[in-house]
Amino acid sequence: MLKKTFKIPDMTCTNCAMKIEALEDDLDGVKEINASYHKLEMVIEFDETKWSDEQIIAAVKKKGYTAITT
Amino acid sequence: MSKNTKPSVDPVIVVMLGVVLLAIAVAMIAFPSDSNSINIAADSGLMSQLVVAFVTGITTGGLSCLAVQGGLLASSLAHQIEQDYASQVGQKKGSKKIEVQRTNSAFPIFLFLVSKLVAYTLLGALLGWLGSYLTLSPISRAVLMIAIGVFMIGNALRMFNVHPIFRYFSIEPPKFITRYIRRTAKGTDTATPVFLGFLTVFIPCGVTQAMMATALGTGSIAMGAALMFAFTLGTSPVFFIVAYLTTELGARLEKFFMRFVAVAILILGFVTLDSGLNLMGSPFSLQNLTRAWSSSPTESAPVADSGQPVERGEIYLNVENSGYSPAVMTAPANTELTLNLVTNETYSCARDFVIPKLNFYMLLPATGVMQTTIPPQVAGTTLFYTCSMGMYTGQIVFEEQ
Repeated sequence: MLKKTFKIPDMTCTNCAMKIEALEDDLDGVKEINASYHKLEMVIEFDETKWSDEQIIAAVKKKGYTAITT
Repeated sequence: MSKNTKPSVDPVIVVMLGVVLLAIAVAMIAFPSDSNSINIAADSGLMSQLVVAFVTGITTGGLSCLAVQGGLLASSLAHQIEQDYASQVGQKKGSKKIEVQRTNSAFPIFLFLVSKLVAYTLLGALLGWLGSYLTLSPISRAVLMIAIGVFMIGNALRMFNVHPIFRYFSIEPPKFITRYIRRTAKGTDTATPVFLGFLTVFIPCGVTQAMMATALGTGSIAMGAALMFAFTLGTSPVFFIVAYLTTELGARLEKFFMRFVAVAILILGFVTLDSGLNLMGSPFSLQNLTRAWSSSPTESAPVADSGQPVERGEIYLNVENSGYSPAVMTAPANTELTLNLVTNETYSCARDFVIPKLNFYMLLPATGVMQTTIPPQVAGTTLFYTCSMGMYTGQIVFEEQ
């Protein structure tokens, strides 16, 4: 499992963080996501053999947000 | 195979109209055409608070709450609609008659809102009960109002994205709660929107948090419950309409609505802050500042319109439904004065009279004269007075005679 932080500059409220955290239920191989509206970032713990940074960025984009690697 | 046929009247519209009519009915009870009823309603000063709560709900609360809680409802609805769609496709495959079951997209919203209404009413009762153990003096109420005002202004500036620091005005609920709520939102049965509506008490929006603080300030179970009921009922029509529109139109209007909410919260924030400053007796409230700048003429010999003889060392203040008359008066310095507070069928919050500097508070009778003693004041002193809500204000300027 790899733990990584992504910046998400286009979150506008705490609800956005909830939406992004919902990815942990949708993506197999993602153990936990902690998104913070205060910090405009998400910390994701995922199986690096199943997911690449680009795939995670794409999954976040599907939720309507932009993830940027830090 | 028959074509899809829409029902002649969309159930969504029916339920929406029902909620709007209910809101209008409550508004009509609050604002009856019979002026005497207004007086009775305002008599305790509590009904006016309920009206303010309802109006706050219907103007800003609904949109603000939607920004925080709308995602829950939308995800619940999306699942419901998805299920409807799947069942329709299934029926299509079986070549059976299909009817568009739009009831399913309206009913969860309705259940969600009713459940939310019940939950917040109970929360209001709990807050009122907690508040009954806290005796809030006018000064502590003023501090609370200022804090609420700052909180609202901070939230509005956050919405305008003025500076990253304002993001901290938004309270992030604990992760275990959001995770639990999110997973519950995936359910599809009738109990799900009911349960979700109930859970919204854990993720209140900024305006709701302000209203919760007000409920705490009531110090009464019944009043706390009534206040939150009025507010949540007010939010319901807007919540319903926007929830329906956003479900239908997507996020196209979201940006526009959020800007509208931000402006409304900013205005309300400044009003609340100003009321808090008034209640604190601050010369820096908007009303007191404008009075000082406009250098309005003062009345040095206030006379009551109730016919009382004016004696030396006595001053009269008429407490009217629209405020205090005179709003500015002069009085002799270095003399103990008797302030006569004259009410004549006064039912507004003006009769909840406060002189912050003297820590004086009195609920005046609707009609009558009440007296209080003002200790000698140094020349140049200004004594501010206000109603307990910080809405109506006035001042006594002490001068050498």
